[in-house]
Amino acid sequence: MNLPGPLFVVGSLLAAAAGLQILRRLTLIVAWASATVAGAIAVFVTIVPLDQTVDLGPISVTLGAPLSILGRVVVIEPVDRLPLTLIALIASVLFLVAWRLLPRSNFFAAGLAILALLSGALMVEQVVYAALLVEIAALLAIFPLAEPIVDEQGNRYSGGARGGLQYMVYTTLALPGLMITQLLLEQFTVFPNDLGLLQTATILLAFSFALLLGAVPFQSWMSAVAMDGSPPMVTFLFTVNLGAVWFLLLAYLETYSWLSAQAAFGQLFTLVGLIMMVAGGTLAATQDRLGRIVGYATLVDNGAMFVALGSRHVTGLSLSIMMLIARPLSLGLMALGLDGLRRLGQGDDRAETLAGTAWQVPWRTLAFVMGGISMAGFPLSLAFAARWGLYRLLAGANLFQAVLALLSSAGVMMGLINIMRLLLTPSRTMVEVGATDEGSPDGPRVRREDPVVLAMILALLVGTIVLGLFPQLVSGIAFQMAEEFTFLSQ
Amino acid sequence: MNPFLHWLDRFSDFVSLPAAWGIFVAGAVIYLISEWRIRFLALLVQYLFVGVLFTRIFDTRPEMALMKIIVGWLISGALLLSAQIRGRTVREPGRLVSWATNLPFRVLVLLTATAIGWLASQRFSLPYVSAELGLACLLLVVLALLFFGTEEEDPTIIGVGVLNLLSALEIFYTAQDPGLLVSGLLVVVSLLVGLATSYLTVAEVPA
Repeated sequence: MNLPGPLFVVGSLLAAAAGLQILRRLTLIVAWASATVAGAIAVFVTIVPLDQTVDLGPISVTLGAPLSILGRVVVIEPVDRLPLTLIALIASVLFLVAWRLLPRSNFFAAGLAILALLSGALMVEQVVYAALLVEIAALLAIFPLAEPIVDEQGNRYSGGARGGLQYMVYTTLALPGLMITQLLLEQFTVFPNDLGLLQTATILLAFSFALLLGAVPFQSWMSAVAMDGSPPMVTFLFTVNLGAVWFLLLAYLETYSWLSAQAAFGQLFTLVGLIMMVAGGTLAATQDRLGRIVGYATLVDNGAMFVALGSRHVTGLSLSIMMLIARPLSLGLMALGLDGLRRLGQGDDRAETLAGTAWQVPWRTLAFVMGGISMAGFPLSLAFAARWGLYRLLAGANLFQAVLALLSSAGVMMGLINIMRLLLTPSRTMVEVGATDEGSPDGPRVRREDPVVLAMILALLVGTIVLGLFPQLVSGIAFQMAEEFTFLSQ
Repeated sequence: MNPFLHWLDRFSDFVSLPAAWGIFVAGAVIYLISEWRIRFLALLVQYLFVGVLFTRIFDTRPEMALMKIIVGWLISGALLLSAQIRGRTVREPGRLVSWATNLPFRVLVLLTATAIGWLASQRFSLPYVSAELGLACLLLVVLALLFFGTEEEDPTIIGVGVLNLLSALEIFYTAQDPGLLVSGLLVVVSLLVGLATSYLTVAEVPA
C-alpha cells in the first residue's frame, strides 16, 4: 500500500498519540516513545527525497505525493520540509525534557496530536483549513496546559484555568479573520479591480496574526499562560505552536505576495515588533514573578522576530529563524529551572517567596538564569548572535530603532538580575519545602538533584554555549530556510 | 423539491427573524441570571434557534442543522455538569433564580450593546448573508464580547462566549461556503471548546 507523505506524517503522529494516551501512566515509556516518534518524523521528512517512494515493510511512502480530502489538497512542498523538521525536532527534545517533570501527564499524547495538526496546517494549501487546524491544536493544548501538577508531597504547584481560558479566547478570536480572508481572496479572483477586498483581507490577516503571536495589545494571554501552565507545556506552546504560526505567516506572505509588496509592510512589521519589544522589556524589568518573566521575554523575542521580518530582506528573515531555533534551548533551560523553583515554592513563583532558594537548588537557579540570559539575547547564547545581527541590520537603517531594541532586551536582563539578586539573598522566611538533605541543623541545605534533570540542564547549557560560540552551525540552516521564501529581496 | 424541505424552507424563512432575537434573549438570560440550571435551559433554547437559522443555510440538507442542534445540546449538558461540580465547592445551592452580581450595570451594558448591535445591522449589512442571518451574527458577537468582558473569572461563561462567537462564524462562513469539510471541522472545534471549557471549569476544583 502506497501512502502519500501528508497522510503518513499526520497519521503516524495521531496513531502514536492515541496509543500513548492509553499508556500515559508509564511515563518513562511514553516520554521516550513520543520523543522517538517525533524525532523519527523529523529525520524522515529531512532525508527522504520528495519524489522517491520508500518501502517501510507493509507500506510504502511517497513523501511528495499529494493527499486529496474532499477535493482539498494537502501536500509537502520543498518549502515545508525544514519547518516540519524544526517543529518535530523541538517537540522531540521537549518530550525528553518533560520526562522527569510531568509524571503521568497527558502532555506527551496531546503534544504528538498537536504536532500532527500543526504539521497538517503547514501542509494544507487553503488558508481556512490551516486556520481551523491551528485552532484545534490550540484547543488540544489547553488540556495539558491546565493539568494540575503535584509534587512528591501531593502539593499542587502548577496548572490553572486562567491561562488556558485566555489562550482559548485569543486563538478563537483570531479564527474569523483567517477564515473570512479566504472568502475575500476568492472574491478578489472574481473581481480583480476591487482593491477594497484586498485591504480588508490585509487588515483581517494582520489582526488575526497579531492575536496568535501575542502582539501588543493582545499580549496578556502570553503572561497568563506562562503563569498558569507547567513549564514544559509553556515551552512547547511558545516554540512548537508559535513556531508553526510563524511559518504559517511566512507561507501566507509567500502565497499572497501582494501582501508583502504593499509599501507599508516593512514599516508596519518594524513598528509592531518594536512596540512588542519595548512593552515586553518594560514589563519584564518590573516583574517579580518568574513565570511572567518567561512570558514577557518571549514577547520581546517575538517582537524581535517581527522587526527582523520588517527589514524585508532575506538576512532579516534568516535572523528571525535563528531566533526561533534558539528559543527552545533558552526556554527549555528556563522550564527546567522554573519547575524546580516553583516546586520549592509550592506553586508560588514570586521572587520574595523564593528568596535564598538559589542555595538550595543551585542547578535549577542556574538553568533559569542562563535560559533567561539567552532569551534576553545576551552572550553566550545563539540568541545573542541573532539579536546582534538584528541590531546591526537595524542600525544600518535607523540607529534609534536599534538602540530601542537593545534597551528592550536589556529590560528583560534587568528583570532577571533583580530576580537573581533575590534568589541569592538569604531570607528569614526562606521556604523549607521538600526533601532537603536530612540531619541539617543549620536549616535548608542543597537539595539532592534528580541526576536525569541535572544531565538535561547540563546538555542544554552546553548546547546553548556551544551554539553561542559557533552560531555558524545554525546560521547556515536558517539562511537556507529563508532563501526558500521568495517574497523578500535577496 | 421534497415537500418536507419546501415546508421547512417556508417555516425557517418565517421564523428566522424571531430566531435571531431569540438567540439574543437566551444569551441575555445567561448573562443576567447566575443559576446554572436556568443558564442550561437558555443555552438549549439558544442552540435550537441557531439550528433554525442553519436551516436557512442548509436548505436542502436539514440534517446539518439537526447535527448543529444536537452538538450544541451535548455541549450544554457537559457545561451543566461541570458548572454543578464547581458550584458545589464554591457555594451552597441557592434559590432557583439568583441574579448575577452588578445586575443594574449588566442590564445597562446589555441594552447598550443590543442597541449597538441592532444599529450596526441596520447600517452595515454583512456581505454574503441575508439581513436576519447578519443580525443573528452581530448579536452573537455582541454576546460573546459581553461574556468575555464581564465574566472573566467564570470559565463556563467564557466558554459560552467562545461558542457564541463560533456560532456566528459558522452562520456567516457556511452561508458562503457550505462545504462538508469546513462544517465538519467547525463542529469538531465547537466540541473541543465545550470539552476544554468543561475541563477548565473543574480544573481548579480540589480533588
